[in-house]
Amino acid sequence: MSVLSKDMPCASRDFLEPNFLAVKHLRKTFLDKKRKVEAIKDISFSVGKGEMVGLLGPNGAGKTTTIKCILGLVKPDSGDITVSGIDCRRNPREASKNMAAVLEGARNVYWRLTVWENIIFFAGIHGVSVVKGKEYFEYLLEELKLKDKRDTEVRNLSSGYKQKTAVACALAKMTPLVFLDEPTLGLDVESSYELREALKRLQSEEKRTIIVSSHDMRVIQDVCSRVIIVSGGKVVVDAGVEELLSLFRTRSYRIVLSRNGNGTSLEEIRRKMTQVFPQAGMTETRDTVEIKVDLKNAFEIYELVDTLRDLRAAIETISQEEVDLERAFLEIVRRENEICG
Amino acid sequence: MWLVALKSSWRQSFQLMTRYMFNMVSGLVTMYIIFLMLFFGVKAVGGSALNLGDTLEGLFTGYVVWMIVIIGYQDLAYGVTNEAQTGTLEQLYLSPVGYRWLAFFTQLFNSLIYLTEITVMVVIMMLTTGKWLHLDLVSVFPLFAAVYAQALGLGFALAGLALVYKRIQAFFQIVTFGVIGFFFIPWDRFPWAKYLPFAMGRYLLEKVMAGGLRLWQLDGSDILVLLISTGMYLGLGILAFSAGESRAKAKGFLGQY
Ligand SMILES: Nc1ncnc2c1ncn2[C@@H]1O[C@H](COP(=O)(O)OP(=O)(O)OP(=O)(O)O)[C@@H](O)[C@H]1O
Ligand SMILES: [Mg+2]
Repeated sequence: MSVLSKDMPCASRDFLEPNFLAVKHLRKTFLDKKRKVEAIKDISFSVGKGEMVGLLGPNGAGKTTTIKCILGLVKPDSGDITVSGIDCRRNPREASKNMAAVLEGARNVYWRLTVWENIIFFAGIHGVSVVKGKEYFEYLLEELKLKDKRDTEVRNLSSGYKQKTAVACALAKMTPLVFLDEPTLGLDVESSYELREALKRLQSEEKRTIIVSSHDMRVIQDVCSRVIIVSGGKVVVDAGVEELLSLFRTRSYRIVLSRNGNGTSLEEIRRKMTQVFPQAGMTETRDTVEIKVDLKNAFEIYELVDTLRDLRAAIETISQEEVDLERAFLEIVRRENEICG
Repeated sequence: MWLVALKSSWRQSFQLMTRYMFNMVSGLVTMYIIFLMLFFGVKAVGGSALNLGDTLEGLFTGYVVWMIVIIGYQDLAYGVTNEAQTGTLEQLYLSPVGYRWLAFFTQLFNSLIYLTEITVMVVIMMLTTGKWLHLDLVSVFPLFAAVYAQALGLGFALAGLALVYKRIQAFFQIVTFGVIGFFFIPWDRFPWAKYLPFAMGRYLLEKVMAGGLRLWQLDGSDILVLLISTGMYLGLGILAFSAGESRAKAKGFLGQY
């Protein structure tokens, strides 16, 4: 049940507008006390309406700067940004009607006001009146589990609730595009999980376009379907989360042999394996032998199985190495640094 | 959208006001005490050396104009720094209404509150001092509006400065008192001084409030000077604000403090 009114422009399921947000060749260099910081070298991407995209990247990669350029809080040196076809740089006021954000490192809300007062204020300055939004605001409080805190001044809330209030204020503006820059920063495991769950629920019901930047891979892996990885002011990966994971998943295998019962001696196994797969590693435990192999391509799996058969190895398990976004991300950034360094 | 935004802004200003009541009350008390000191100080020394008019009514008018100036610019000027400190400035900048309008709404709200209080205070002052001013609304209101508009210009200019130079509040304190300087410069020796911010406004208001003239009895050329300087200072102020704004956006430190 979504309480959003019908005229709220965010209900597309299959990305009717693939270029709902389009960023082209964005560049920004900061002049900081005569030192030049190339925060964004060249960033281009587009996001479809209703997509939930993660923005990843190491510290100083340019994520926040990119978001602020889109929001009109930072003036880019060059590049085109359009939201729903509106040129953000030429027509910032019109564009801002479509956007809301929780910004990194700022309080975002008035600590002296209550949760409810904050919500109606921030929605109000976006043109959503209490009359029009009341039902939806209540629904947000419910979803974000803020109902009990409705009339508490924000300064008396824990940091998790403060952050949730900021998220509520951003969502209450009912804009089709929402940016969340590090929404779970400083939250404990429990609060972070709750916020993620709420975001997922809201997203599945409302189909808004949400862009989440976070260092917490669980957040991205959990709620986003696509991820854009930025490093050194450039986009290095732009792929579906599943696609990205499978890219790393196909390569890494772990084979556990029992120590006894092999048709060949362990020495022979080791010799043969390292001959066929020089990249393989073997570790022995009390009862088992573990082989780790990074396969170079999808066909090497046959060779691996054949080799093991020839050795008449007693296989206990073959498993794919678990990949999560964190590993994939670290690997990409590592490779990127190798190329650049 | 505008009406909703205005309403939200005023509701929020009211809510914040009730939480920061102490600040406001203490501000008003300070203003009253300064007035008493000025009034009795000048009474003892004799005010004729300055361009304040020879009369205590002149001083009185000067003080009221000064208060109008202060209530006209201070929320704009301090707003930027305050919002940056509360961490909400960038959020306000996300509003499609635009920060400058939101700031203006807040300014207007606070001005209306102050205005009511000042009216009460002026009456108290008149009772304290036994000096009675001519409060002919038809004549007084347009003149106050002009002074107020000039003060808005000053406020926007200072807000623009605050966007670029973050810790500048000490300077605002100086401005608050520096403004009085514009009243004091004698015109016979420095004819250009009548174009200074608030100078002509104060002069004409003195004629009306202390001298008892009506609006249409004032000198046409003086009114022209008032209109020109009002347009100019308001325009310059907004221009300065825009300049500060684009610089902060280029430097990327809009929300920083
Ligand atoms: N206002 C500024 N003035 C000067 N340099 C800046 C400014 N803002 C950002 N930078 C620099 O630009 C680069 C990109 O910063 P940005 O905040 O966009 O990175 P980020 O990806 O958000 O990093 P993080 O993960 O730490 O939040 C950094 O090197 C940063 O130091
Ligand atoms: Mg950041």
